[in-house]
Amino acid sequence: MQGNVDIRVRGVVKKYGNRAGNAVDHIDLDVRSGEFLGLLGPNGAGKTSLISIITGVRSASAGSVLIKDHDVANVPDVVHECIGFVPQNIALYEMLTARENLSFFGKLHGMGALKIRQRSDHLLERAGLLARSHERVGTWSGGMQRRLNLITALLHEPGIVFLDEPTVGIDIQSRTAIWVLLEEINKAGTTIVYTSHHLEEAARLCSRVVIMDQGRIVGEVTDTKGQGGTERLEAVFLGLTGMEYRDH
Amino acid sequence: MTSRILAHIQKELLLLLRDRGGLALLYLMPVCLVSIMAVVQDAPFKDFSDKQVLVLYRDLDGGVVGKQLLEGLNDAGPFMVTDITGDAGTTDAIFQERVRTGEFQVGITVPSGVSEVLVKSSDAVVKGLFGQIAGDSITAAEPDSAFVEVLIDPVVKKAFRELMNAQVNRVLAGLSADRMLQDMTTQMENLTGNDLEPLRIQEPFIRVKQRMAGIELSGTHVAADSTQHNVPAWTIFAMFFSVVLMAGNMVKERDSGIMARMLTMPGGAAERIAGRVMAFLLVCVSQATLIFAIGVFLLPILGLPALDLQAINWLMLLLVTLAVGAAATSYGVLVGAFSTTQQQSAVFGSTSVVILSALGGIWVPLYIMPKAMRTVGELTPLNWSMEAYNAVLLRDGNMAELWPYLMPLLIFTAICTAVAIFAERITSRK
Repeated sequence: MQGNVDIRVRGVVKKYGNRAGNAVDHIDLDVRSGEFLGLLGPNGAGKTSLISIITGVRSASAGSVLIKDHDVANVPDVVHECIGFVPQNIALYEMLTARENLSFFGKLHGMGALKIRQRSDHLLERAGLLARSHERVGTWSGGMQRRLNLITALLHEPGIVFLDEPTVGIDIQSRTAIWVLLEEINKAGTTIVYTSHHLEEAARLCSRVVIMDQGRIVGEVTDTKGQGGTERLEAVFLGLTGMEYRDH
Repeated sequence: MTSRILAHIQKELLLLLRDRGGLALLYLMPVCLVSIMAVVQDAPFKDFSDKQVLVLYRDLDGGVVGKQLLEGLNDAGPFMVTDITGDAGTTDAIFQERVRTGEFQVGITVPSGVSEVLVKSSDAVVKGLFGQIAGDSITAAEPDSAFVEVLIDPVVKKAFRELMNAQVNRVLAGLSADRMLQDMTTQMENLTGNDLEPLRIQEPFIRVKQRMAGIELSGTHVAADSTQHNVPAWTIFAMFFSVVLMAGNMVKERDSGIMARMLTMPGGAAERIAGRVMAFLLVCVSQATLIFAIGVFLLPILGLPALDLQAINWLMLLLVTLAVGAAATSYGVLVGAFSTTQQQSAVFGSTSVVILSALGGIWVPLYIMPKAMRTVGELTPLNWSMEAYNAVLLRDGNMAELWPYLMPLLIFTAICTAVAIFAERITSRK
């Protein structure tokens, strides 16, 4: 491993109300600068809860999260300046156009109008959305919305990007476009943490895959790229998490 | 921070402009409500000032009582009298049926012989009086009594019945007094041997002079009528009804993941809530402008009185509108912060506003409610809002008089906003 630690998670626990057991159960995790980390696991493994705690969307029941040495719980605004988050849902205003959405979220990051316009043009072009950027997002296809969902998180050029299942329910073209974009920003030095159920996607994109089950980290795979990577990942995944259904 | 609040304001207004249903809810619904309710409530507000009580009248006596009672009713104002005296086809049963079925609210029958009773009774009283003066030992005969029959439609409210009795009694009392004065004049002529001018009381010696303790315009006073009540009332209702849209938008943001995205961005719940409150405050001011314009320009076309704004203090009107808008929008964010589904926010938001408006004197003025309801109503923000508008529009109130209504509205705003911010901080990061 090389580079500084961008994300340091220590002893993080998340318990929801009266639900039995912990959704996230004493997790320790380091993510280094420039890494492309995949969080994989069956349904209910705690992937989304963990990513929500790291990004400050949810508070932890116990433990700490440092991002670039800043405590998420204590100085959220400092942390939020340097991260981008792509939620699992299409987190956009359907009644607004793509540009209006980008403008709104850019302003929340304190960006000026000119900067927003320049970054929007670049990202919309890059995602193949420029021609329809003045249309309301609600009129778009799922794939287009997913691509906009992604580039909205990249608008302020964050050093760390979190993605929660960013390619759910879209066609191969849009999925490939998202992969290429993610590979591109990762190569440029952006640290990426992402959750998915798609093993072949994780095998292609990730430099390291952490496997979670029942709120804990149960294993880690680093050599997924190259021939047979998906099969190796699948074997490890099923070996660690078993074949039982996770009907919570 | 300011730029983020401005971004939230701009976003809220853009979303609203694109939401046709929301625009209809915020602007079209109150315009319809104020027009319909002002027309519906016009008659009750006019009370008995216009000719609106339909009276079926028949004189079976043919004497002075029937003639003068008819004149008295026609002169009184609120009565529209249909005289069927001499109509042989109208039997007692038909007469009663026309009132019972509501064709007329009141049926008045002057029975045969009433004038004779009046003459005899007056004569007895006056002769008795003058007998005492002359030292006669003869005791005056007891005066007779007779009744004018007043038949009332069973659905007519009590106030109408009392008005009717008072009016008929006033005419009959005047008639009795006139007759006695006439008899006394005759007796005086007999005593003195001189021809005297007959005495007649045209008007009571002491009368009532009524005036409004409020805004005076060119000698007339601005008083509560259907327009003056309904325009501010439905403005307040419209502002508070924006809770449905505000709370719905907040829940939608949480459901869609937009809230999750915003939670990973700089800025907190206070900025999000402040942006929303300010955006909807602008909406509230625009609602008030529209509904007041309806009161000035549209309601007169519908045959209603125009909203009278000639002598009001515009600064105070703006102040009241801002205070009411702030209270309404803060209530909206409070409901939004605690609602977990859009359905919940819509049902609770709309129902609570309808209940609060009924209690707060929006539908009907608070002063006509029972005491217990009045006490409850006086504790609602919609009533403080109504009283604040009344203070500016009708009572010619100054700031000191406005303050007792503005203060609770501002406290209500502060509490709702603070609780909403606290709740959003807690619930969004659970």
